[in-house]
Amino acid sequence: MVTPAVVVEHLRKEFILRHNRAMGIKTRFLALFHASKRERREHFLALDDVSFTVERGEALGLLGHNGSGKSTLLQIIAGILIPTKGQVITHGRVAPLIQLGVGFNPELTGFENIFLNASLYGFRNRDVKKRVKDIIEFSELEHFIDTPLKNYSSGMQMRLGFSVAVHLEPDILLADEILAVGDQPFQDKCLAKIAALRKEGMTLILVSHNPEQVNKFCDQFVRLEHGRVLEQGGITKVQEEDTPHGLSDPVRRAYY
Amino acid sequence: MQVTATGFGRYWQYRDLVRNLVAKDLKVRYQGAALGFLWSLGNPLALILIYDFVFTHVFRSDLPNYILYLVIGVLHYNLFSQSLMQSCESLTGASGLLQKIYFPRILVPTASMLFTLVLWFVAILILVLLYPFLGGVYHWGLLLYPLALGLYIAFIWGLVLTFSVLNVEFRDLKHLVEIALMGLFWFTPVGYQISTLGANARSVVEWNPLTQFMDIFHSLLYQGALPHWSSVLIAMAWTAASLALGTVLFHRKARMLVEDL
Repeated sequence: MVTPAVVVEHLRKEFILRHNRAMGIKTRFLALFHASKRERREHFLALDDVSFTVERGEALGLLGHNGSGKSTLLQIIAGILIPTKGQVITHGRVAPLIQLGVGFNPELTGFENIFLNASLYGFRNRDVKKRVKDIIEFSELEHFIDTPLKNYSSGMQMRLGFSVAVHLEPDILLADEILAVGDQPFQDKCLAKIAALRKEGMTLILVSHNPEQVNKFCDQFVRLEHGRVLEQGGITKVQEEDTPHGLSDPVRRAYY
Repeated sequence: MQVTATGFGRYWQYRDLVRNLVAKDLKVRYQGAALGFLWSLGNPLALILIYDFVFTHVFRSDLPNYILYLVIGVLHYNLFSQSLMQSCESLTGASGLLQKIYFPRILVPTASMLFTLVLWFVAILILVLLYPFLGGVYHWGLLLYPLALGLYIAFIWGLVLTFSVLNVEFRDLKHLVEIALMGLFWFTPVGYQISTLGANARSVVEWNPLTQFMDIFHSLLYQGALPHWSSVLIAMAWTAASLALGTVLFHRKARMLVEDL
């Protein structure tokens, strides 16, 4: 029996919002006399009874407005936050791309940062050594790789971060609106790379504002609003025969 | 990539992360300095030279080879104080990492302590070189020193975990620790012998866990003798207590850590 890659069961996450949180003695003292300066606690329900299953190799799109709980959900699947209720079961290595280039240090060179970033994902340096050539090649930063990261443009940093993440061959990729890396040609390259990884069986969970993107990329979708599932379901794919033969769009070609 | 291991293997899998974090801190610290890593030799060397001047020309002590006695004490006390001060900010300083990716959280304060330790080993290298000139004696008991140091490091690590996780909730702790470490210096037999104290002061200083460790280090490195077994036993008890406190507290707080950062 093939186990699903990600199972989310009745997930609930409460945050305690602390308005006017008293961090210092002065505030605490003032709070004795001024009711308005007192700490107010509010239970905020970020996620309520969210369930879904993603099979191996499938892609799921998470849709919803700002503050609807998409990123919280991603953080829970990644193991960063602990759910209040319910559970998440994942099979395989999860690579959260909540931010590209986590842990990048501006003083270190691009080359050194590749190793630092990869080790955050649990990689050994000797395994990274085998891939480092591919990572640099993909990022198209050969010329700058031995200069400190502080001299990189933000687009260059994102390119490097993306390149590291996809070359670590994750089983499950959690992507938080990261598919806008660099200029158009590079974006296409990223999408093609993700498509290629998916062909090899990688599972994808994609957070997006853009229903079109989800349509193009995903097999099913979940739409969240105020932490609840508003709607969820499958996306019917255009059959391969139906795609027009003018395969000018490199993304589509790589994908279908 | 291997499937996530359980127990200790879960941490072991991330050993290169700790290595890279420590290497990063070292690189950043000596970035652009012409002498680079050599600077970490400067501090202990200056320490010894200044003490040598002050305590042979300004103050005089009855203890023979007093500089050796003092330097042993100060260096070991520095390891303690620097580790604790670094640890307070280790988790709060790494909030960007902790909120974006999962990895065993215990590695952050541990890497911060290892960074302090690496610099400290360079400092102790100076002591090793100058040891015979300061009046140190070579004896078989020195072979036990690594064990004693290991015990000391374990003791400090327990406190590092405790303070790193407490500082997330109580940000005042950092400042408190800074002052407490300044005071604790004088309640530790770093530069004096506990036998010279009056009964009252002595009973206070004896409750300081560092006193036992100082006794062990002074016995091994200064007197050229084996430490008293009672010191070793009490030091072991303090270490067990510190490790228990640190690991239990860290384990309990680590789960919800991210929400408080």
